[in-house]
Amino acid sequence: MSVPRGLTSQADITGELTLDCGAVIIGSGAGGATMAAELAAAGVDVVVLEEGGYHPTESFTAETGRALRTLYRDGGGGMTFGRPSVLYAEGRCVGGSTVVNGGMSWRTPSRVLDRWAGQEGIEAIRESDLDPYFARAESRLSVGRQDPETVGRDSALFKAGADAKGWNIVPNRRNQLHCAGTNSCNSGCPTGAKQSMLVTSVPRALAQGARVFADCRVERVDRSGPAVSGVTGHVVRPGGRRGPKISVRARTVIVAGGAIQTPALLMRSGLRSASGQLGRNLSLHPNAVVTALFDTDVTGWHGVHQAFQVREFAADGIVLTAVNLTPTMLAGILPAWGAELGALMADYNRIVTAGPLITDTGTGRIRNVPGLGPQVSYQLTDSDAARAVRGVELTAEALFAAGARRVLLPFDGAPEITSPGELRRLLARPVPRRALQLYSVHLMGTARMSADPRRGVTGSFGEFHGVPGLYVADASLFPGPVGINPMETVVALAMRNAQHLIENLGRGGR
Amino acid sequence: MAGPSSAPTGRPEPARPAGLSPPLRRAARRFAEVVCPPEVRAGQRTDRVLGELGLMLAALPPAARKGLAAALIGLDQGARLYPPSRGRRLARLDDRVAAAYLRAVLTRPGVAGELARRLKGVVTMCYYDLAEVQREIGYDPAPYIAAVSRRRLESYGAEIRTHEAQQ
Repeated sequence: MSVPRGLTSQADITGELTLDCGAVIIGSGAGGATMAAELAAAGVDVVVLEEGGYHPTESFTAETGRALRTLYRDGGGGMTFGRPSVLYAEGRCVGGSTVVNGGMSWRTPSRVLDRWAGQEGIEAIRESDLDPYFARAESRLSVGRQDPETVGRDSALFKAGADAKGWNIVPNRRNQLHCAGTNSCNSGCPTGAKQSMLVTSVPRALAQGARVFADCRVERVDRSGPAVSGVTGHVVRPGGRRGPKISVRARTVIVAGGAIQTPALLMRSGLRSASGQLGRNLSLHPNAVVTALFDTDVTGWHGVHQAFQVREFAADGIVLTAVNLTPTMLAGILPAWGAELGALMADYNRIVTAGPLITDTGTGRIRNVPGLGPQVSYQLTDSDAARAVRGVELTAEALFAAGARRVLLPFDGAPEITSPGELRRLLARPVPRRALQLYSVHLMGTARMSADPRRGVTGSFGEFHGVPGLYVADASLFPGPVGINPMETVVALAMRNAQHLIENLGRGGR
Repeated sequence: MAGPSSAPTGRPEPARPAGLSPPLRRAARRFAEVVCPPEVRAGQRTDRVLGELGLMLAALPPAARKGLAAALIGLDQGARLYPPSRGRRLARLDDRVAAAYLRAVLTRPGVAGELARRLKGVVTMCYYDLAEVQREIGYDPAPYIAAVSRRRLESYGAEIRTHEAQQ
């Protein structure tokens, strides 16, 4: 295994480090790595600082616990305050969350773009404006359908259930180059088939001369007068120990740490938004997991992570999909323990897990708490709770239609059900909001774009209102939930905003 | 500063589990024996679950780590208030009473029940992260991954190499 030229990690840094560059980018995920590749290709001297480590494809295995500890922030154990609390996960490694996501790659729905343009006055963001960027993103990330031989039996069963119900179900578009169907997306793709930033834009940026520093945490964005002047941080040693100080001087600072870390960094740097929206407006696409047991072997880990999406209810803010979970993850969410848990898990290869992804209307907020770091509060609205319950019901219906014999619902205290009739009877009574078991991997909206500085934190091209030289380049920019897997939207916006920035730099701007 | 390294630079995990304190370890051991399947007591698996738990807790954010550790101690000591325990903590209860006590806590609404359920989730994750346990339930991904990876390269190798060269 070798490390690419231009990539440096903690072991290589023995003392304080001061760098000068044209643009410093914080974070190497979908937004940061794309920005780095675009700017470096245009001749900008780019430094990327990534808090996580560098883990090459050859190091990836299907060991869930190890992956959670090495590729995810906080072991993947983020949790919002609210009732119910929502468990969330963020990637933290070179390549960011694209290393551990499911690899779904969809264009932003035009109705969402129209809403962003209409409500926030964002320039050049309608479908016709973004089409060229989507096309470039899809070419770079090899976006397309799965090869048929990699579709697993869990996905096939879920599709059969949706077909039996007469629902619209579509093959997923995924950023993959002949995905082998190892079902290891969330532990890092062991074949390199998933076209994450680790194997696309990061090496592209390095090849264009960008310098990438892994294991480097940025503590604050520095300013000189109203404008930014660089960033300060430190090396992260093994076990999270604090290493030498790092200073990077740059006239352009691009923050791409994700919708929780980006506002947290900006806030602890003393930056404020006149809109009052920095750290607010968090959307997170809550999802839930329905567990179904079949009479026959499914072996859901033989095949691609998610092959299809039910789009029948997309207009209502509900998308359904089958997602195989490793034993580690499944055991963590099953509502059983002791011998009963053992009996359920003994049927692991007869289990299909599936669930809804909800376009939420409620919002949350990020606050920095001394000693604890960023804390997230999020209150599920009644309508979102109803949508989540409806999504669970639809998922269970599809699983029964596919032949499931027993279904476990993601509601605290809910009994196991064995028929659609039992499902209807159970859901005839309201499900308390606090009983919902919800998860999130789509965090968005905490530095939202708006042409109006009184409404948005950032402008039409990701520039932080009122702070020359400061940009945001991740899903924090979204004015609201995108309603679909957000990665391609982040990449396309980063390409578009990079082009705008390059043109601006060419005119002598910053 | 030295130049780029010549070896993978992923942050290595600590050589030893971040230590569970003795009281935490006692409570965690008894908790694991009850919430994991009975086979957890075989072949020193409980020790390995506790090792995984130490690593997992060390990776969690400070608030969650402190909350779960406090919940574990609270569960252990809270058993004293459970009448059938006759004032004993969880670590000293026999299997039947310990199971009844945890059933009462795990099904309880409210914050205490939610914390206990989260803790149960983390501990059972640690159990099912053990490779031998995974093999027992028919999950052994390494040979499968090797086989489909070979198939991928045999079927599409030329196209893959061309694309990678363009990156």
